[in-house]
Amino acid sequence: MEFDLKTIEALAPDQASLSAASKLTKRSSWPRLEKNEQQALIWGECQGSGSNPYRVVIDTGDHGYKCTCPSRKFPCKHTLALMWIAATAPASFAAAESIPEWVNDWLSRRRKTTPPPAQSTSGAAAKSIDEAARTDQSAAVEDVAAVERREAAQRKRAEDTRQAVSAALDELDQWIADQLRLGLSGFIDGSSDRCRRIAARLVDMKATALAGRIDEIPSRLMALRSEERPDAAIRELGKLVLLAKAWRSAPDDPELKRLVSTSETREQVLANPDARQVESFWEVLGEKIESRRDGLVSHSTWLLDLKSTTPQFAVLLDYFPASAGRRSNAFAPGDRFDARLVFYPSRKPLRALVAERMGEVISGAWPDFSFGAAKDPLATHASYQDAAPWIADCPLMLPPGAILVDDRGTGWWQAADDPQGIALPIAGAVNQTLLGLDLAATAALWDGARLDLLAAQSGFGRLDLS
Amino acid sequence: MRDCWITGGAAFDLAPTAWKTIAGGASPDEQERRLLAIAAQALDVALRPAAPKTLKRRPPLPRLALPMLPERLRPLLRAALKHAVDARRKTRVVTLVASRGFVLHPMDWMPSDQNSPDVYAPWIDWQASFDGERHAPLEKLTAENWDEFYPAARRIALANMRRTESASARMLIEAKASGEPAEVRLALIELMRVDLNPEDAPFLKSLSADRSGKVRELAGRLLARLGEHGHLSEGGADDPAVELAAFISEGKSGFIRRRTTYTPAKLKSPAQEKRRAELFETCNLVDLAARFGTTEPEFIGAWQFGTDNNADILIARMVAASGSDAAVTQMADTLVADGGKPALFVLHLTPRLDSRRKRALVRLILKQANYLSAINLAEGIDAGWLEWDDLSNGSALAGLRSAVAGNDEAVRRGADDILESLGFLATATTAAKLIDEVVAAGMPPAAPSLSVLRLNAALAEHQSRTDP
Repeated sequence: MEFDLKTIEALAPDQASLSAASKLTKRSSWPRLEKNEQQALIWGECQGSGSNPYRVVIDTGDHGYKCTCPSRKFPCKHTLALMWIAATAPASFAAAESIPEWVNDWLSRRRKTTPPPAQSTSGAAAKSIDEAARTDQSAAVEDVAAVERREAAQRKRAEDTRQAVSAALDELDQWIADQLRLGLSGFIDGSSDRCRRIAARLVDMKATALAGRIDEIPSRLMALRSEERPDAAIRELGKLVLLAKAWRSAPDDPELKRLVSTSETREQVLANPDARQVESFWEVLGEKIESRRDGLVSHSTWLLDLKSTTPQFAVLLDYFPASAGRRSNAFAPGDRFDARLVFYPSRKPLRALVAERMGEVISGAWPDFSFGAAKDPLATHASYQDAAPWIADCPLMLPPGAILVDDRGTGWWQAADDPQGIALPIAGAVNQTLLGLDLAATAALWDGARLDLLAAQSGFGRLDLS
Repeated sequence: MRDCWITGGAAFDLAPTAWKTIAGGASPDEQERRLLAIAAQALDVALRPAAPKTLKRRPPLPRLALPMLPERLRPLLRAALKHAVDARRKTRVVTLVASRGFVLHPMDWMPSDQNSPDVYAPWIDWQASFDGERHAPLEKLTAENWDEFYPAARRIALANMRRTESASARMLIEAKASGEPAEVRLALIELMRVDLNPEDAPFLKSLSADRSGKVRELAGRLLARLGEHGHLSEGGADDPAVELAAFISEGKSGFIRRRTTYTPAKLKSPAQEKRRAELFETCNLVDLAARFGTTEPEFIGAWQFGTDNNADILIARMVAASGSDAAVTQMADTLVADGGKPALFVLHLTPRLDSRRKRALVRLILKQANYLSAINLAEGIDAGWLEWDDLSNGSALAGLRSAVAGNDEAVRRGADDILESLGFLATATTAAKLIDEVVAAGMPPAAPSLSVLRLNAALAEHQSRTDP
């Protein structure tokens, strides 16, 4: 370890970063702290405000660093905190035998700069690590009247939002009726502009989440073949009708609120006694990082519960501005860990937060899910749709099967002994090698028209398909 | 209903009665929206995509003869593959792994050409078999089951047969080659290089009437290696060997024992230079030596290496293409023994050298250290044999250390390439020591250029753990 506090002080971009970093130096913020002295590396995972942990790696030799958080400060508070821990409590780092793939990945992409960072920078004098370390003593004492005023204001805001959203949904209803009257073929051709316009109106009227979803409709339609688009348009618009109706009947339902206007905060979910908690071993099936039209990047990490005998999934979902640049993945597919997840309350809980990480779990095969003979591969999807018909992407665990190709080169998943002639078309290009592998179990997302593969188990072990 | 919505308009009247019951009793717009919601749900839960009739299943990817690389080492392997910029370097990584008794996971790497280690032949054939009816049988290749073998499996079977029963392999090629297209025929005749012996001469001579020019040329070169004159036109003015001989001056040297020397003649123009290059390409060594009334090894022994670099390169290529085995070893041994820059010309001969001589060449390059980067050019060398002494004897290590410690970016990049090549050649112990050495010299321990060396070192560790 070659860090001293002076170096950290010099590297910090400003005093605020140091102060923020000091709050993250608690051991509990870091479920994983490891080092490899031979290669002069330390790395760790910090549970930040997002659902996915931030991964930080630092080259102690030349003070090169990388963090997966979207901060635009370099180094960010997570990097500074990791350096801080390395300087003050080097024993916290467990010696790791092998280097995780995400660290290797960073190493292979980084370009080495020759000189180590200068020890003294002009701004160094303005930052003080002592000041940052001082605990914040100025906890404000609020009087009762102020608390009441604040709560009243909150209630008023909530009521205003509800009214605005209600008006937004009226406008959406009218818009959908217009699309039907004008014809879906025109809607499909002009979906980009039409969806953009209604989405902008919905944002103005505080139905932000719904606006984001509508903004994505054009790209979902365009991903399909032209003959499939009318059905897909019916599905997309029909789901909006259902969602709007459901919200009107229960505007305070947390799931519907989340899908229409805004999501609750991490703290609210953690504090919610109704939120389902599952402590288990989890495997990272895969990640989806998608740039959305509203300027956000959605980053979802799909997890599989390894202790459950029926396939149970969870998704860690974060959004961050696309302007924050390309973000590296928080988890590597195939990673396994022991953790307590808290699910956002909903009819079919999928979205979750990592409440507590207990450690790593050794790799191996998936549990033996007993797939019933001749079972409908989309049965799970149908049950999700029955409970929550507005769900767009549904995770599936498919029984033994294989990937086949049609004469256009599109890949299709088909069960090994398929009696009903069902095959599910696969989104995107299929790796040719996959066509020769028997898949004992396949995890994928089904969006009603395409299968998005996440991972599979095969005779060649685990296959990463995301 | 769908058609109605596609073109635009109310679909209520077209809806099934049950749907009408649910959707009815509201404004026309609301009725349509309700129907849309029902239709959306029906599409999602009630319908299943039907499998197209044209769906094709590929045959299963065959298991290979070696075990898969342990999961634990896959990150290191992927790092090494990522760092290997081109197919040749990737193949080197794969060869190194195969030399330690493992194959790669098919999702990490699939062979893309014939240069992959033999153990991957079933995968090459699997890739070629996408129409997929035939299966490569395991029994011995014969004229009867010829067509049941995929080309890659057939090539490997034939090459193996050449090593053990060279005559039967030749007879098989003789019987089957003529029925194959020129490209396949050429690849089959290429196999005659394996254990080429005088008994092959009649068959090779019979190929002088082959339809394909390339096959005729190859047969001529193989014959030349056996000491048979490819060009039978003797001494005419248009004989290329005569023309080439004119570019070479014969002389004498030594005071007591007069020895014959052959020196490339001084050239007067680029046109001459070009012509000479062409002639070296087309002539066979045996014919050229015959022009001077000498044997191939004697001719090579008397050639004055170091006078004209270009001529040296040309003759090295000529020897590699058409020289007899004796000429090849004569040239390699002489140049390696003399050392210096001319020794690098032996690189042209590497495809024909036995592994002992190849190793000697690599050791020499490392010892001399002046042209360390030449090590990257050596082809077809075994993986994982270079001992620490080979590396530390000469000045190679010192050169690498100073390149790593220096500030010259180009030199450092050169060192990165050399380290990658050494990562392929070194034994596991050497690899581990070399990592320590360059890290001590200032290379960041996590540098990507050490990725092959790290994989190499880790592979041994695994082997020793699993060995009983």
